[in-house]
Amino acid sequence: MKKIFIFAILCACFNTTANAAMRVDIYGPGQNIVNLALAAPVTAPQIEATGMGRDLQQLVEQNLSFLPFLHLTNPRSVLGGTVLAGHEPPNLDFKRFQLAGSDILVTCYWPNGDSGIKAVQLRAFETNTGGRLFGKEYPRVTSNDLPEVADRFCSDLLEALTGSGTFFRSTLAFTKKTGIMSANIWLVKPTGRDLRQITNIPGETLSPAWSPDGRFVVFSHINPKSHALGVWDSNSKKVQRIPFPGNVVIGPAFMPDNKVAVALSNGNYPVIFLLNHVFQKERILEQGNSINVSPTFDSAGTKMAFTSSRLGGPQIFLKDLGTGTVTRVSKNGTYNTEANLSPDGTLVVFSRMTDYGHRIFVQDMVTGVERQISFGPGSDEQPSFCADSYFIAFASTRRGGRGIYLTTRHGGEAKKVPTGGGPASFPRWSR
Amino acid sequence: MKRYALIFTLVMAITAGFGCAKKSADAAYGDDISPELNAAIQQITDARVYFAFNKFDIKSEYKEMLKGKADLIKRYSTIRVRIEGNCDERGTQEYNLALGERRARAAYEHLVTLGVNPGQLEAISYGKENPAVQGSGESAWSKNRRDDFRVVAH
Repeated sequence: MKKIFIFAILCACFNTTANAAMRVDIYGPGQNIVNLALAAPVTAPQIEATGMGRDLQQLVEQNLSFLPFLHLTNPRSVLGGTVLAGHEPPNLDFKRFQLAGSDILVTCYWPNGDSGIKAVQLRAFETNTGGRLFGKEYPRVTSNDLPEVADRFCSDLLEALTGSGTFFRSTLAFTKKTGIMSANIWLVKPTGRDLRQITNIPGETLSPAWSPDGRFVVFSHINPKSHALGVWDSNSKKVQRIPFPGNVVIGPAFMPDNKVAVALSNGNYPVIFLLNHVFQKERILEQGNSINVSPTFDSAGTKMAFTSSRLGGPQIFLKDLGTGTVTRVSKNGTYNTEANLSPDGTLVVFSRMTDYGHRIFVQDMVTGVERQISFGPGSDEQPSFCADSYFIAFASTRRGGRGIYLTTRHGGEAKKVPTGGGPASFPRWSR
Repeated sequence: MKRYALIFTLVMAITAGFGCAKKSADAAYGDDISPELNAAIQQITDARVYFAFNKFDIKSEYKEMLKGKADLIKRYSTIRVRIEGNCDERGTQEYNLALGERRARAAYEHLVTLGVNPGQLEAISYGKENPAVQGSGESAWSKNRRDDFRVVAH
């Protein structure tokens, strides 16, 4: 964390003023496609970088391939090639990129060469106007820093285009199963980098959830004798196991104030409790003569979506935490579970059991329109919104073994997140 | 570390203290128990209660069997039984944990209604994480929607 902070401070920002105002509306119904060209990285005019420059280029390309609204221009389609005589106007030939259909041109300049510890300058321009979207210098870059530089650049580019760059700054927590009643929590960037295991405890872990400050991951833990709330602290790297009376701990979730809501036993049906900051019961958020589980909140903490069997089969409901009003969200199907509320509070994504397995649906809370966004094959489950309310991660058996996939609020082709071997489930984004 | 060592020592001492009165028994039933108790444990653990999809009510066909279990648990007051609620693979994991809890709790409440001391019972849900039978299709699913009865002390 300290390293990232120092790195951010060192990141000298030069002339970030955006002359052009190109924006991509990723939230509207008519999401447009933007064509982006990457100029060859150079160390001097017409001199292509072949060391760290080439490696950084590959990482940026990999990152950008996760953005469904970006189409990368094939370098072979650029007449005259992508090695340029400069890295900013007036020495940039935008025409050749316009002819190749590119809307945006990204340049990468290593003023002192690209081996050892060197600075790199990355800029993005609108090809039509020549206006700069943004530009940044990353000083003292080593080969170990390249993934972080790529993530920071892509995050900045995404933010400049859409208003939110959280995708490349997020980390997914998920579970990886190693046998019956045996699973642990892992972390990975949505691009598949920084894969690491954070818990190593006997028993089954389910339903990880990040604290808003990114310090804790809570989860359900089941061993043969008991349920418990698991708490992983990123500061100490230790896991605490907190049992509750009634032996039921299902689907914990953090509220924006860093308090946890979780389904616990109240002697009869599972009840959604709010816990205080030391994980003790504070008050009931939802209860009744039915199953009430899987709470999820918007980023303001004013709404809670959850699963309830109050009408027979499991359905999704939304509770206004201010007024206490509960409204039904899922109106079709007989088995709807695993709701996840978008941080902006406008959408609820959930899974529905169909004759062909589970599928992911999105309910628009503003228009009332429901839309199916996953179509298998296999079973698609456990959807989770990124902080940008745009990307959705989910678990699927579409390629046989269970893995983590990414799609968006509009659906579209799902992209697999590399998570190494073993069945992966329960993807949950850091905020 | 010292604290853990102290707790471990205390737990061992307490366990040893209770050892004469009550045996912890997730393990196989040893030679040191009477044939009658052994048979009772077998009868309590062998028969399972099965459920319909997404249901947790006890079907009437299992009520006689549960009465037999209740009589035995009442007769042997040192016995402690864990009721484990399970689901088939079709539902989702969090909801199945809740459904499994309702299944375990249904048998628990039925046994208590029949006069069993609640102190001799505990309930837990494994959701769909601990299937009795691997595979898909109703023949496997119907065997996995169940309550298991495990004698954890006698």
